[in-house]
Amino acid sequence: MAVTRPRMREEGLADAIGLGTDELAMRKRFLEFDDDDVHRLEGMYDLTREYVDSVIEAFYDHLLSFQETAAFFRDPRVLEYVKARQKQYFIRLTQGDYEQEYVEDRLKLGSIHEQIGLPVRSFLGMYAFYLRQIAARLLDEYADRPEQAFAAFHSLTKLLFFDIGLAVDTYIYQRERTIANQQEAIRELSTPVLRLRERLLVLPIIGILDTSRAQKLTEDLLASIRESRARVVILDVTGVPAVDSAVANHLLQAVEASRLMGAKVIVTGLSSNVAQALVTLGVDLTKMNAVGDLQGGIEVADRIMGYRVVADGDEIPEVVDARPDSQAG
Amino acid sequence: MPVPILKQGDCLIASVQSALSDADLLELRDDLSDRVGRFRSKGVIIDVTVLDVLDSFASRTLRTIAEMVRLRGAETVIVGIQPDVAFAMVQLGLTLDGVTTVLDLEEGLAHLERSRRSQAAGARG
Amino acid sequence: MPVVDACVPIREDSDVVAARSAGRSVAEHGGFGGSDITMIATAISELARNILKYAREGEIVVEGVQQNGRAGVSVIARDEGPGIADVGLAMQDGYSSGNSLGLGLPGTRRLMDEFEIVSAPGHGTTVTAIKWLRQ
Repeated sequence: MAVTRPRMREEGLADAIGLGTDELAMRKRFLEFDDDDVHRLEGMYDLTREYVDSVIEAFYDHLLSFQETAAFFRDPRVLEYVKARQKQYFIRLTQGDYEQEYVEDRLKLGSIHEQIGLPVRSFLGMYAFYLRQIAARLLDEYADRPEQAFAAFHSLTKLLFFDIGLAVDTYIYQRERTIANQQEAIRELSTPVLRLRERLLVLPIIGILDTSRAQKLTEDLLASIRESRARVVILDVTGVPAVDSAVANHLLQAVEASRLMGAKVIVTGLSSNVAQALVTLGVDLTKMNAVGDLQGGIEVADRIMGYRVVADGDEIPEVVDARPDSQAG
Repeated sequence: MPVPILKQGDCLIASVQSALSDADLLELRDDLSDRVGRFRSKGVIIDVTVLDVLDSFASRTLRTIAEMVRLRGAETVIVGIQPDVAFAMVQLGLTLDGVTTVLDLEEGLAHLERSRRSQAAGARG
Repeated sequence: MPVVDACVPIREDSDVVAARSAGRSVAEHGGFGGSDITMIATAISELARNILKYAREGEIVVEGVQQNGRAGVSVIARDEGPGIADVGLAMQDGYSSGNSLGLGLPGTRRLMDEFEIVSAPGHGTTVTAIKWLRQ
């Protein structure tokens, strides 16, 4: 099912996700990221400027060498765009001032990659790549002062972990939005009313059955009963993910209302576990005429309506007139 | 306004014509009870197709009618409950338990016919 | 003629029918669909009947309402009768009741979207119920 991905507004991602200044400050404290780290990072600025191009090129060569990740960057415009953004990102790592604006930028970056569909593990894999690339260059640069190299590397690691936290937040946020949209779409699917035989209706219910959907379903069902003069209705709930007592009560209402219009209702698709659970919750299933599966339900419906299904080529059984007054007295 | 009651063979058919007040319902109850006795009817059909509301009093009265008719040896079938009305009744918790309800007059007559036949077969043993 | 709002005195049996009718009219005017109209009319029937049964007389006011851009129908059933001693108890129900006991209030509440009841012994009863147009 095609679902359009939500276009992320460029402003205010931190707000949208719920990352306030307190939360961000707490995370930095947790990572023990302090002003000393900031200074060390700023001290690496010249170094990063010098190596940014080769690091980014190496990074995307790496990504493109794997079929799985290359797939996301086939469009050259997308590739150019993300490369440019990554360059900015890389440089930004050592420009200090890791506050609101920095955070917003990080969130945007994560958002962009989520939207092109890059798996989060690939996105996070990028950080590992940076660290490897930078470690090598740091050791070169601070060859005579390895403790400084290590301290700088340490600070960078802290910042990258901070960034990873933000990237994960964005991915989760975007995924949740997509899920919410999809749930909404499912909820809005109206249940078709299928006329299986003359005066026998089948309603396959799929998706979440909340109150408003249950109401619509019952209304459509009752109108169909009148229109088709249905005598039997099969409600199949195989496609309903969670049948709890609320859903069961909605179904019971549909059953009761149908009975008032003279139609018998058979509910199919309730697994025996679910049925057991409902009975334990005090739901009166006897009114529901529950049958395990759709096929069984159709067989029961046929019996109620007095039909018998005979396969082509089979002997047609002698029709015994079952009406009492035709039997020999 | 009284509900017209037609006699068709050994069935009585009460066709509600308009919204029923409580008094109308009670009158219907008494009328049917009286006629079932007088004509020794075997079946009673109450056609509520026209009713746009069936509330708790109406529901109670219909059940009372069914009970009274049964005591006189006959069966009651309510026909013609409309979709909207069925829905509202269920919201209100009115189920007309114990009363036969079918789609329309045609079904109602068919039901009574089936009942009569199976009763006759039973009698023949 | 479409009725936008109505005030129906409830003093006798036939007034229950009149109240239902008025409610139906207001709901139709408000753009409600068939099953919602029936629910409103049924709720009015129950409330009007309660007035007759327990208070002998009162009134039903039905009017169109608006809130936050939503349209709805409000039903107010008032009387100066004996009042309900235990409103909480009156609002309880075994889920599928429909027997003759009680005021049918829980069922009536299910028919409507909003429901409020103010009642005390010696101070009469006012029930306010609103049904909103479905989006």
